[in-house]
Amino acid sequence: MTLESGELFPVDRALRGLRERFGEAVLDADRVSLREQVVVVPSARLAEVVEAVTREWGGTLLTLFGIDERAQAGRYRIHVMCSLAPQDAVLTFVAGVPEHAPRYPSVAARVPAALWLERELADMLGVTPDGHPDPRPLVAHAGWPAATHPLRRDFSPPADWQWAPRFATPQVEGEGVFEIPVGPIHAGIIEPGHFRFASMGESVLQLDVRLGWTWRGLEKSAEGASLSRGLELAERVCGMCALHHALAYCGAIEELAGVQVPPRARAIRVLLAELERLVNHLGDMAGILNDVAWVVGWAECMRLKERLQQANDVLFGHRFLRGTCVPGGVTREVDDTQQLWLRSVLADVRADVVTVQRLALAEPSVVDRLAGAGVLSREVAEDLGATGTAARASGRTLDLRRDHPYALYRELDFAIPTRSAGDVRARFELRGDEIHESLNLIDQLVHRLPGGPLVQHLGELPAGRWGCGLVESARGALTHWLHLAPDGRIADWRVRSASHALWPALAQSVPGNIVPDFPLINKSFNLCYGCCDK
Amino acid sequence: MWDLLQGPLQRGVLAGRAALSIPTGMAVAASEPPLPPEVMGEALRSEVRRLFRGSLQLRQLSAGSCNGCESELQALFAPFHDLQRYGIDIVASPRHADGLLVTGPVSRQLEEAVRMTDEAVPRPRLVIAVGDCACDGGFCRDSFAVHRGVAEVLPVDVRIPGCPPRPPEILEALLMALGRLAVRAGVARA
Repeated sequence: MTLESGELFPVDRALRGLRERFGEAVLDADRVSLREQVVVVPSARLAEVVEAVTREWGGTLLTLFGIDERAQAGRYRIHVMCSLAPQDAVLTFVAGVPEHAPRYPSVAARVPAALWLERELADMLGVTPDGHPDPRPLVAHAGWPAATHPLRRDFSPPADWQWAPRFATPQVEGEGVFEIPVGPIHAGIIEPGHFRFASMGESVLQLDVRLGWTWRGLEKSAEGASLSRGLELAERVCGMCALHHALAYCGAIEELAGVQVPPRARAIRVLLAELERLVNHLGDMAGILNDVAWVVGWAECMRLKERLQQANDVLFGHRFLRGTCVPGGVTREVDDTQQLWLRSVLADVRADVVTVQRLALAEPSVVDRLAGAGVLSREVAEDLGATGTAARASGRTLDLRRDHPYALYRELDFAIPTRSAGDVRARFELRGDEIHESLNLIDQLVHRLPGGPLVQHLGELPAGRWGCGLVESARGALTHWLHLAPDGRIADWRVRSASHALWPALAQSVPGNIVPDFPLINKSFNLCYGCCDK
Repeated sequence: MWDLLQGPLQRGVLAGRAALSIPTGMAVAASEPPLPPEVMGEALRSEVRRLFRGSLQLRQLSAGSCNGCESELQALFAPFHDLQRYGIDIVASPRHADGLLVTGPVSRQLEEAVRMTDEAVPRPRLVIAVGDCACDGGFCRDSFAVHRGVAEVLPVDVRIPGCPPRPPEILEALLMALGRLAVRAGVARA
């Protein structure tokens, strides 16, 4: 794409580039916001367009999903959202797939980032991506009756639904090859997931990750729900990422309503978001140190995490910050005394994190385990559309706080630290760096919160519109796409978390390592199961 | 290593027990814990000594939760609350457990695995439902993909509501549950 000045927004340049490159394949285009351009393409050409945007223009595939429009238009509609970072531009490709022939050429055949997304699309909507390299179901276990597609509008749970999960895994054969099944129930306080290792001696040859065990059908539950019920669902997709789910959900509503959130609310949202990031990063560092049996470090990080969650409770009334973020603003005020107190709590955290990290990395028994384990190469991270800490530890400088700023991030100063090694050590070190950036962000806000109201009234909502919330959760890019029905209730809600994108990346970083290092590698990503399964 | 320990030692928080000090007059949104964790912990210790010869071993079973309840259970077994010091621990195998701590509404995809895990726990066993979802399905109780709580799948002895329940609330509920066990045992003897 050649960029010329004269066009006001990066999305306009992107659209011109698309028209030059693909000509008649661009059926229609509509700029829905300052940053987002919707481009309608034929489903037959969707894959090649997305491939050009991700491979040649450096775009990142954020999400791919479908909705059922059979009643209105006799078709399913596929959406593919790509971020063109570091420009603040988002391209959404929309393609129709006819009801009578629900198939289209697979995007994943050209763009691996769509692998899990298209498997889920086939399960949920019964639209087949032709030529998909791994067409196994993702959420649907083999006990599901034929043609059970929960996100079709006319779906009702079949009476003969066998929930007992049976599934095939890709086989590795040869003398001395063993298969090790792990899960879905794990030995610890962890969510359920099934891991199937093929190993030779201690070395892992292949890892297949099978999730869907915590699938609660939340996207289906949202159909026809009120916006406040939607917020309840959004906050409970995941406990550890509750605030960011609320932020993304509210972002989607605010975008479709065309509402500006008041400055004070935007500042408090940054405060909340960074507190959630701190809690997550401290928990992740604790997990890594626990898995290398450096228990002192685990205890210290868990103590800091507990302190922060207690501070969350004291200031906002909830240890996971639920109920703080609502469409149009926030519910909680943070006065000057509380801000000062928070700063003093965080000053302790900063000093203690520095100590833990310095001592951990001076401990040969820790470093020997971290260094070189679970390498995620930059190439794989790019191919799979990885975002967040795991992607930055492999050299990708992506962060939605900078790339598509929300809340008050545009006005604040922060660095985006990266590493290039892509191993467990890089992910561990990077979390330490990111903790300091989060603390800096909060320091910039203390005593400098803008004045004004906390909530902007939404007013009359435009029925039939849709909006998208993009936020950088502790694990990476999180998108919520929300579509309003004519009656102002939710027609469609689609969530894609960073964990959904990172699980396949984790599976790629394990082969070549020894089996006992898997828990450590897993912890260094520390992905959510609930976020992914929904 | 020693400078890491010195900071917390000087502050008396090696086990993380020092609570946050909150200046008087500052507005606080949190609700008061039922009793100080140490008081409940000591009471718990004596119940565990009486009923389980000093050692209660529980197996955590995550059955379709959002991981909020898991996080709070982790916090209970980490510095600050540190439940091990009262004789309660989480075990890796259901065969070593006196009971199950179940979180989540029991997603249908996981139902079979939940039953199999429960079958592996020696009888008699305690089933504790932690969190609103485990109690009655909670916020997602109307979804076809989940049960309306653990009781639809396993016999539940104790329900601990909350979304998620705070660690001191779980502590208090455990204490009450063991008291109830004592009552039951008394009835059985009589």
